[in-house]
Amino acid sequence: MSLEAAFTTCTGRFALDVAIEAHGEIVVLFGASGAGKSLTLRAIAGLVRPDRGRITLDGEVLFDAANGIDLPPEARRTGYVVQELALFPHLSVWENVAFALPGTRADRRQRAEASLAALGLEGAGDRDLGTLSGGQRQRVALARVLVRDVRLLLLDEPFSALDDAIRRSLRLELRRLQRELGRGALFVTHDLREAYLLADRFVVLDAGRVLQAGAPDDIFSRPVSGRVAELLGVRNLYRGRVVATAPDSIEVEVGPLRWRCASWVGVLRVGDTVDVAVRSERVVLRRGDRPATNALDAIVEVEEAYGANHLLQMRPLAGGPLIEVDMPARPYEVLGVATRKQWSLELPPQDLHVMPAAGSVEA
Amino acid sequence: MTQRRPSGTTLAVALLALVFALFFLFPFAGLVWRAMDDPRAREALGDPAVGTALRLSLVTTAVSVTLSLLFGTPVAYLLARCRIPGGAVLDALLDLPIVLPPTVAGVALLTAFGRRGLLGEPIEALTGFSLPFTALAVIVAQTFVAAPLYVRAARAGFEAVDPELEAIARTLGASRAHVFRRITVPLARGPLLAGAVLCWARALGELGATLIFAGNLAGRTQTLPLAVVAAFEGGPLGLPGAVALSLVLLAVALVLLMTLRIVAKRGLA
Repeated sequence: MSLEAAFTTCTGRFALDVAIEAHGEIVVLFGASGAGKSLTLRAIAGLVRPDRGRITLDGEVLFDAANGIDLPPEARRTGYVVQELALFPHLSVWENVAFALPGTRADRRQRAEASLAALGLEGAGDRDLGTLSGGQRQRVALARVLVRDVRLLLLDEPFSALDDAIRRSLRLELRRLQRELGRGALFVTHDLREAYLLADRFVVLDAGRVLQAGAPDDIFSRPVSGRVAELLGVRNLYRGRVVATAPDSIEVEVGPLRWRCASWVGVLRVGDTVDVAVRSERVVLRRGDRPATNALDAIVEVEEAYGANHLLQMRPLAGGPLIEVDMPARPYEVLGVATRKQWSLELPPQDLHVMPAAGSVEA
Repeated sequence: MTQRRPSGTTLAVALLALVFALFFLFPFAGLVWRAMDDPRAREALGDPAVGTALRLSLVTTAVSVTLSLLFGTPVAYLLARCRIPGGAVLDALLDLPIVLPPTVAGVALLTAFGRRGLLGEPIEALTGFSLPFTALAVIVAQTFVAAPLYVRAARAGFEAVDPELEAIARTLGASRAHVFRRITVPLARGPLLAGAVLCWARALGELGATLIFAGNLAGRTQTLPLAVVAAFEGGPLGLPGAVALSLVLLAVALVLLMTLRIVAKRGLA
């Protein structure tokens, strides 16, 4: 399976301009709601006609604005599953699965039952949709696209309406199916954890544009812009200025603070305006001696506990922005953060990631 | 448990409802009473002219409804799904035959398809065929006034079908036609059937437009409502015949209404 899609489309005030590739793996389209993820899938499925661009699947042109090619959805052989599932309420389970299959009734039934069985729904063919649980309905929707020889799965937040346990098992199932069948999938989600768990490749979409695409680990550790970092859950994001560069590090001034940063993207020169990102769980609280680099004294200004973790908002004594620290309960108790409020913070240079403020550098 | 005495308001409402109900019941009771009381009315029931009018009514309305479904269904679907240019005008035009007095519709049909009509004249010059005062004219008149009722209902029915279901059905490999047959129509079945029954009822009761456009020719254009007029206005059947014909119409209308009720209930389930 190999998909190459690059197109633009305008609907009302929203403009979508994306380029996406997928080669047999699970590609996660990640972004906030309204980023254009669903519109991208609909264009590939043939339900939305782009203004410009070209979409090919396994070498076949599905859409080409320049040459006036626009295959109808029924000829594209994609398996499109939406969050609402769109099961046909007037048909039984097997009739849903066999909906567009050709052949005799017995043939169609047999294929439908086989597809249902592959998803753990043996013998459910005659059941009424109303009697199924959310997870079972989800499986029917998957069986309905997998019963055909689809070349690409287009999954639009298919698990969002389900509870955690079912989501986990369906994720595993999807992974298994993808491996066994060798079918690639474009998976849309706004759930960061789900995105990370499923993605072979990761595409970050925002306001109709692809901000960054690549391997998930790469994107997580090296976002190309402050917006990507923000979308990926980085809470400590600071505007600063490059004051010195070395082969292995960059010095950045953030307000009255000066940090050595060992991770960056693009070519940065002294004087450049940059964004510095550091994940809250990477900030270290020191009890004893002050570390040599990137140390600062700060006091806990606000703290809140959520589940097994504590979130501390720390105010640097020398001035500058608040720094959020995410700390598991155990070190929190061992250090005695509940009673002592002033600490030395350490920002490890390899965890300080610097990005050009314009955010226009290619990954 | 204490029994509350009905208040003055309740009594007033009950009284109004009773008067209203009687107002509607009495004419039907009168009809039945007259038919029982007057042996000539019972005799008229067996008159071949009644049978002829009934047959003509059933055949013409069946054709009218079929035509309405055939042409009205695509129009209703387009109106429900597409923003077509001039859609608002088309919408108003569809309402017109519902609001228009049927006699006006009859005159309008004459000016279009009559012997001196806009289209009627060239058609007659070319083929020698003249539409007015034929059974076909009855069908045209009925379709003209009744089809919009079906289109209204069908459009509402189609609008209630989630377009996403149709879209997903197509991504599953089904053609537009297949999706329409297997998804859209089954899901809109209730309103479609209700619309068809309404359309049929309206065609069955059609009088004004038919009278003007098709005339009142026994055996050719004289449907049941027209036969009632003819009998009442001194035709051979007379007033007893009018009563008999009215009873037959009442019976057919009742059957139609029952069908509608059953269909509506099934459509909801």
